[in-house]
Amino acid sequence: MKAWQIGLVLAALVALAGVPWYGSDVLIQFGINALLMAVLAQGWNIIGGYTGYASFGNSVFYGLGSYGVAIAMVQWHLPFAVGMVFGVLLAVVFAVLLGIPVLRLKGHYFAIATLALAQVMTAIVSNVGLAGQNIGLVLPPLNNDPLFYELSLGLLTVATLTIWGLTRSRFGFGLIAIRENEEGAVVMGVNTTLYKVLAFALSGIFSALAGGIHAYWITFLDPASAFDISLNVKMIIMAVFGGPGTVLGPIVGAFTLSAVSEFLSSEVTRIAGLFFGVVIVVAVVLMPRGLADLFRRMRKMGWSYFSENIRAHRL
Amino acid sequence: MTPVLEVRNATRHFAGLVAVDDVSFTLAPGEILGLIGPNGAGKTTLISLISGTHDLSAGEIFFQGESINHLLAFRRARLGIGRTFQIMRPFPVMSVLDNVAVGALFGRGGGQPKLAVAREQARECLEFVGLGKIIDKRADELGGPDRKRLELAKALAMQPQVLLCDEVMAGLNHVEIDEVIDVIRKVRDLGISILVIEHVIKAIKSLSDRLLVLHHGEKIADGTPDAVLADPIVIEAYLGKKRA
Repeated sequence: MKAWQIGLVLAALVALAGVPWYGSDVLIQFGINALLMAVLAQGWNIIGGYTGYASFGNSVFYGLGSYGVAIAMVQWHLPFAVGMVFGVLLAVVFAVLLGIPVLRLKGHYFAIATLALAQVMTAIVSNVGLAGQNIGLVLPPLNNDPLFYELSLGLLTVATLTIWGLTRSRFGFGLIAIRENEEGAVVMGVNTTLYKVLAFALSGIFSALAGGIHAYWITFLDPASAFDISLNVKMIIMAVFGGPGTVLGPIVGAFTLSAVSEFLSSEVTRIAGLFFGVVIVVAVVLMPRGLADLFRRMRKMGWSYFSENIRAHRL
Repeated sequence: MTPVLEVRNATRHFAGLVAVDDVSFTLAPGEILGLIGPNGAGKTTLISLISGTHDLSAGEIFFQGESINHLLAFRRARLGIGRTFQIMRPFPVMSVLDNVAVGALFGRGGGQPKLAVAREQARECLEFVGLGKIIDKRADELGGPDRKRLELAKALAMQPQVLLCDEVMAGLNHVEIDEVIDVIRKVRDLGISILVIEHVIKAIKSLSDRLLVLHHGEKIADGTPDAVLADPIVIEAYLGKKRA
């Protein structure tokens, strides 16, 4: 990274950190949502973007993080931080226990297997008394949006620094090698099973932390909303829109799409979903490799970048 | 001297098909052993059995006198067994340099944990195979001959003791073949033992110290190149029975 790029990122970080001082309440709330979505997109980026395993199970980590905080605070009357640790622990155990069998599957099969996990978790948690069954849990309210905002921003920063570290470490190179060619990676000495499970767990840790913050902020959760599969679809769309397998792409994707979605639902309330769908379809057709690739190549190619994509993908 | 690699009665079934049938051979330190045979003879399967990407149905494989049957593929790589693939497996969106750096980061003895050092080693390997000028290109931008060299560089960066080369010359022209032969000889001069699968008979004859011939999964000949290529059984396997 060049000096001006680091400067730009730092400036953006300072501007974001200052929002609670100069932004409206609405903006802060929008910010919390967008930041948490960005964390989820970054979490997915580790397993989906860098390792090449399109996980639909990350909403399970999110749900486990939410329930970790809720159970610790409501049932055991422990502080929020302990709940976060408990949620992370649940996510890691889940990632290891399920990752070992599920990560043996490749491509579509992996996606389908993880897709089922969220359904299973909803059913299980609905029957666990400790988790409030299908009624859910109500957390003690904490009316401090700036705090939640800064927490979310801090988490996003840590997630992004982790990914940046990945791109220049042996572990990260191993993950990329697995994505690019798993058999080629294994004969070069990459312990693919271990690396995939570690990537899954790391991805789960960030998703769980985001879930924990969200649960405490919203103060209510039930199985259907905690293990919502559409949340997983959202994080994939955002990561892919921004540029999977890049350090900043998923953040840009999450912010852009959160803003677009917010704008549409305030301007064209009832058919916002339709317009959002159109945005996604157009994005996939014109820039299938995400914003990161768009910025990189459009400087060289100009507008022909779009026609080139349409031709290359035979659309 | 203990052979670097010893294959004893290696057998592999795929359902009813016997791809490799009771094959035994040894590879001495610093030796170049050519492996030839008609299409479907089981050459690639044999290499996969050694590198561990396929499991043996029966038999045993020894590396420096120790059985490696129970070791997973990545462990065998870390032990010092490197391989190239006939259908090349580069990491397409990574740069040529980083492709090779993966070999240095993992590879023998678990590899080199520092990325900067690994990249430096990768650069040397790329110089060695003659790709020193295009290290910043993306791997999927390379043409056929350069991809073959890249496969070699990736395996070399692992600092292997045994190199298994699966058709590194296929699809190359005469000049390119001679260049690859030179590289393989240079690799041997580093003290690495090499098992090389090849279809270009002229090339393998000049390159190999010894030749091994597979036919329908069975070993039908093993000896010096001249003796093996004059063997009537080998000629029959390649050209069919002479009509009386």
